[in-house]
Amino acid sequence: MGGAPDRAGRGTLVHLKDESLRRLHASEKAVERSFHEARLTASLAVGLLLVGFLLVAQMRGTATFSQSLERQSDQNLAIIIQQTAAENNALRNEVVRLQVRLLEAGQATEDRTQLLNEAARELNSVSVVAGLEAAAGPGVTVVLSDPERVLLPQDFVRIVHELRAGGAEALAVNGVRVSATSGFSGGDGRIVLEGSEFSRRFEVDALGEPGNLAQALELPGGLKSTLATFPGVEVEIVKKDQLRVPAAKRIGFVHGTPVEDGQ
Amino acid sequence: MLALVLALALGVTLGLLTNVSVPAAWLTYLGVAVLAAIDACLGGIKASLEQTFDDKVFVSGFLTNTLMAAFIVFVGDRIGVRELYLAAVVAFGLRVFENLGTVRRLLFSRWGWE
Repeated sequence: MGGAPDRAGRGTLVHLKDESLRRLHASEKAVERSFHEARLTASLAVGLLLVGFLLVAQMRGTATFSQSLERQSDQNLAIIIQQTAAENNALRNEVVRLQVRLLEAGQATEDRTQLLNEAARELNSVSVVAGLEAAAGPGVTVVLSDPERVLLPQDFVRIVHELRAGGAEALAVNGVRVSATSGFSGGDGRIVLEGSEFSRRFEVDALGEPGNLAQALELPGGLKSTLATFPGVEVEIVKKDQLRVPAAKRIGFVHGTPVEDGQ
Repeated sequence: MLALVLALALGVTLGLLTNVSVPAAWLTYLGVAVLAAIDACLGGIKASLEQTFDDKVFVSGFLTNTLMAAFIVFVGDRIGVRELYLAAVVAFGLRVFENLGTVRRLLFSRWGWE
């Protein structure tokens, strides 16, 4: 092995080593620079992000504030006050108008209530007269005993008639209501009213002014004296302060139809 | 550069999405603080173009400037010199335009438009 080539070889080696060291150094620097660049960009980016966010928040806050009253000019404020006052007036008028309407409506309701009450009262009395409802009040009880079974249905028709003439408002025979459509039938001492059969002893309840009712039967030559002439028949009239008459069976209206006035 | 534009857009979007509104009492403080923040960011961009950017300097500058700006307004309010905020506005406003000019020139030289 010669010295010269040896030296030359070593020179190449040194050169290569320097070269690789230089490259390593350069790449290290490059890494460092890119790292530095990344940090730079990141911090700037965060700063800009904050700026954007704050800008929007600030703009929104300013927009809200400029609409608030304290930022308005005097002229604007005067206009606003005028408008508000006008609105106020209009609303006050509206309140008065509505109050008047409320009063009127209240009046109308009162009128209607009164009308309804009257109608209800009328319906009540009509119901009592028609026998649709039980009724109570002063009246008389006519007690008839007929041991010989001589009374006829027409005798009861007469009794009912006389009592009605005396002002009876509601009638019942042995607890059966005599209504507008009731009729007496039967024979041979049996009296049939609304499907119920009675004989021998009868109690006729009549609501009305007790004195008038009693008088209607006790007139001289009246029904009481006539009935008393029948064999075995006894008639007793008892005035009562409180009497109760039951409701009639429901009336079925089948063949007729109500006709209005003028038709 | 693209990352920075994106960051700004993201901040605006965030602000729009979260629907934050600054209370009226804070408006002046935050207004001046925003101005300071803009100035700090422009300064940072300038420094990065001049290859002298240091993130520590940037972050500390950003925070100090914004806080100090708000503080100056606050002090002005307290001592009865409400117009003190004008000082901050003028100072930061001038710096914003100055930085903007420098950044523009640096960008031109970088893109070879000179």
